[in-house]
Amino acid sequence: MKRDYTDIFFIFLGSFLLIYIILPIFFLIVKQCLDFEILIQTLQDDIVLNALKNSILTATATALISLIFGVPLGYILARKDFKYKSFVQGIVDVPVVIPHSVVGIMLLVTFSDAILDNYLGIISAMLFVSASFTINSARDGFLAVDVNLENVARTLGAGKLRTFFSISLPLAFPSILSGAIMTWARAMSEVGALLIVAYYPKTAQILVLDYFENYGLRYSMPIAVILITLSLCLFAFLRFLLWRFSNAET
Amino acid sequence: MLRLEKVCKDWKGFKLKDISFEVKKGEYFIVMGHSGAGKTLLLETIAGIYKPDRGRIYLNGEDITEIPPEKRGIAYIPQEYALFPHLSVYDNIAFGLKIRRFNKSEIEKTVKELAEILGIVHILKRKPKTLSGGEKQRVAIARALAIKPKLLLLDEPFSNLDYQIRSKLIEEMKKWRKELEFTAIHVTHNFEEAIALGDRVGIMTNGSIELIGKPKKVAKSLTFSMIKSEKVC
Repeated sequence: MKRDYTDIFFIFLGSFLLIYIILPIFFLIVKQCLDFEILIQTLQDDIVLNALKNSILTATATALISLIFGVPLGYILARKDFKYKSFVQGIVDVPVVIPHSVVGIMLLVTFSDAILDNYLGIISAMLFVSASFTINSARDGFLAVDVNLENVARTLGAGKLRTFFSISLPLAFPSILSGAIMTWARAMSEVGALLIVAYYPKTAQILVLDYFENYGLRYSMPIAVILITLSLCLFAFLRFLLWRFSNAET
Repeated sequence: MLRLEKVCKDWKGFKLKDISFEVKKGEYFIVMGHSGAGKTLLLETIAGIYKPDRGRIYLNGEDITEIPPEKRGIAYIPQEYALFPHLSVYDNIAFGLKIRRFNKSEIEKTVKELAEILGIVHILKRKPKTLSGGEKQRVAIARALAIKPKLLLLDEPFSNLDYQIRSKLIEEMKKWRKELEFTAIHVTHNFEEAIALGDRVGIMTNGSIELIGKPKKVAKSLTFSMIKSEKVC
């Protein structure tokens, strides 16, 4: 059989980005393994553990808030036609194009002391930069649900809300969950806006920067390794749950 | 039973123009027309999915024009059956009964009775994705009839089935009609279905009902007008 050189060429080009993503993670972990003592030391550091706890809790709260407010918005964007729909859709995507330091400045100008250096500030910044993932995934999930399923449910006696919870939401759930996972992951990686709005209480991603500036690479690297390991493990676990759920559906 | 008075609707290029007709209790009314004639829009307007721009709809003497679909007691089976993919066949059939808060034993009794009549007892635990076209069709009918609707709306129910299964289901539909005594409006573009099942047939063209009558009489008029139009050409 003749070899398909087009596929081979595309795989070759595509591999570049995959390797580019994997390589720094690999080197970071390998280098840290050669300096294992400091990793253990960092794992016993209360400041680090506290920062990690802050990051995980605030990112989780952000994902939950984005679900509560983002799912209904996604549903409206999927099901309703209205005059300024493309404008509303544009607003949803605006955070993607604004530099995150600018987001921090905007939030501070708008909410001033109420969000300065507190948990509310962390969540506000995270929510601004990451909620669009949940909204867009929810919209795509609802768009994929055949509107006739909802129509039939209604003729069988289900009101709009009941139809939403018994038909639309379960069918769009894998897509919504996928969006919430992305929101969580994006919130965990937010730094720019946090530097301006909420440097304190310290989150792990801010602590990496803090340690790097004050103590250098050797002391910031273990926090980065812990943060990336934790994020990847949780990300993989949530993806696994999503995969299990999708498979159970089919 | 059902009465439409000068119903008009304009929706995404499809139109209903001054539709007026009546369906009697126990009647099996066929609406025939080519693609794009507005047949599906007509059913969806009767079901309450769309509100007419003008005109009124009455069911058993009550004006239901403003009533939402969930309160009309009209069951609707779309062309692709719209079985809920995340629910088993049993739960699909039981859906409307659960909403009406029937108790578990009542639900079980109704589902089993319908499943026996429609010959789907053996697939009750399966998910819709694993069913054949004919099985899906039976499940959709069972789900619609489970709520004992005042009126059943069927949108091209046999169009996705091959000839043999379609002929078999048409025969079975006649039997189910006698057994379950329902009133139905059945949309199709197939005259074989109209002749076999319809008590009366309405011919729909470009959003209007042009002709209503007994199937054989309508067939005769149509043949006559077709010959006439060919001669003119």
